Amino acid sequence: MADLLTTQRLTKNFEGLVAVNQVNFRIQEGQVTGLIGPNGSGKTTLFNLLSGLFTPTEGTVSFLGTDVTRVPPHKRVQMGMARTFQLVSVFDSLTVWENLVLSNIRFKTEQQSLRNFFFASSRRKDIADDCMSSLELVGLESRASSVTSELSYGDKRMLEIAIALSLRPSVLLLDEPLAGLSDHEIGEVVSLIYKVKKNFALGIIEHKISKIVELVDRLCVMNYGRIICEGVPGQVLCDPQVRECYWGKEDNKC
Amino acid sequence: MNSKADVMHGIRPAAKGAVFRDMIIIAAFFVALIPVLAMHRVTDFMIFCIFALSFDLLYGFMGRLSFGQVLYLGTGVYASTLFSLHVSTNPLLAMLAGVLGAAIVAAALGLIVVKLNEAPFALTNLAFNQIGFFLIGSTFQKITHGEDGISSGVEPWGFMDFSNKYFAFCFVLFFLLFTFYMLTRLTRSPFGIIIRSIKENELRVKFLGYDTFSYKWITFTISGALAGLAGTLYTLYVQFVSPTFIHPLNNVEPIFAVLIGGAGNLYGAIAGGVLFMVMRDSLSTHVPQWEWILGGLLLIIVFWLRQGLAGFVRILAGAVSNRLSLRRAAGGGSQ
Repeated sequence: MADLLTTQRLTKNFEGLVAVNQVNFRIQEGQVTGLIGPNGSGKTTLFNLLSGLFTPTEGTVSFLGTDVTRVPPHKRVQMGMARTFQLVSVFDSLTVWENLVLSNIRFKTEQQSLRNFFFASSRRKDIADDCMSSLELVGLESRASSVTSELSYGDKRMLEIAIALSLRPSVLLLDEPLAGLSDHEIGEVVSLIYKVKKNFALGIIEHKISKIVELVDRLCVMNYGRIICEGVPGQVLCDPQVRECYWGKEDNKC
Repeated sequence: MNSKADVMHGIRPAAKGAVFRDMIIIAAFFVALIPVLAMHRVTDFMIFCIFALSFDLLYGFMGRLSFGQVLYLGTGVYASTLFSLHVSTNPLLAMLAGVLGAAIVAAALGLIVVKLNEAPFALTNLAFNQIGFFLIGSTFQKITHGEDGISSGVEPWGFMDFSNKYFAFCFVLFFLLFTFYMLTRLTRSPFGIIIRSIKENELRVKFLGYDTFSYKWITFTISGALAGLAGTLYTLYVQFVSPTFIHPLNNVEPIFAVLIGGAGNLYGAIAGGVLFMVMRDSLSTHVPQWEWILGGLLLIIVFWLRQGLAGFVRILAGAVSNRLSLRRAAGGGSQ
């Protein structure tokens, strides 16, 4: 199986605090890779390095065989890497529809004329079809014309995932997609992920291990900026080192 | 389950019909102002409204507050004046020269300033404006006649005679409506969605695969060109220009106009532009230090009316429609 996204000895040093320390991480084609670890272990920092929000102090990131360590975020997205954020990040002042136009239009800009780009209505048919299928995918049709700030947190999360999906990524990075959601909403997000996961390789940070253990093919555990264990979920969760950092020493269930 | 047609129907109605309706309302509004104020004042106000609209695109829609928008107004003024004196007296060519001049200056300086945000953006623009003022007022005194000012060389061309106040009114009104139309289409287009989203969260836009720099740069250039358009209209209409047209202190004017009217709203920019000019005109004749009132108004806006006049109207309309629906419900209940 080909590696789509890999890091080599990736390090991020925040003025003395080594948040990510010599990490070799990889996301493989057709796989769901889970990333877990205690708070402050460097998971989100690692995602920020992968997606280009931070530049690493040392080490390299390669994506689809190209070194992208110094490539700005928007270019990485254009190459096919999309991400969501820990705190849901959609455009509150725009309508749900406009949020989707924003993410879908990028694939139209090459084909459509400049005149259309500057002056066309955002209801134009070719744009509308794509936005419509995004809406249907996450079941937000009835909210299309709502201002996004009026949506519930769960709906915003669904919208954020729909936006990420409409970027047609080959690698999608989800940073705690279930955080702050009710059990019902978690069910919806998880079933959405099941529905679409065949289309791309997925990297997912999550605290609620029980909710995603069925979903992931490979699990990596981070602690103090390092990957301390990786492999098949069943195996990883029984690793004594992992059990110690996650549940404390006394736990001996495995 | 909602059908696709239902969803499409709910989305913001198609711009076209509504835009033309609004353009007619705006035209009627300015025509109605003529008996109240003098026609030449209304013409003046409309030029200022074009300037306010150019500023609203930058500040209201893209969220970049500039203290240097007057530079592009002044560039339009001086480029068209100098063109009319040295190249051609044709008013339309002078306009073209002014708009192009402002667009070129905005495009060149935009390469630097759009990389900045917030205070550095505002102040760097102010600095460039100061430089422009200095160049016009002192360095190029031989060409611009410095503080003395110069008369434009624009001459009537066919029916285009700007000393005819009716013609001048219609001509400026045409360009105001043109600017309004273009900005309405622009801000509702996919491009407009991108710049509005840059206002809210630029970093997030980058993570949708957009090189935000180029969108900001294009917007800055369009905004500068429109400010230049307002400048060229001053040249044609006032026919005498002086460095006050490029004075950095005047930057408070579009800012006030847009804040009063409601940033990010084209009607707001026009209403704010008119209200600001009316206040400046009428208050300054009656109140010796009318800026006090302006300052008080600014406090009211900042504390209670963040969305300006446009937001106030929206709140009022909401309250009225609520009251009406309550009354209807009560009426229905009693029957």
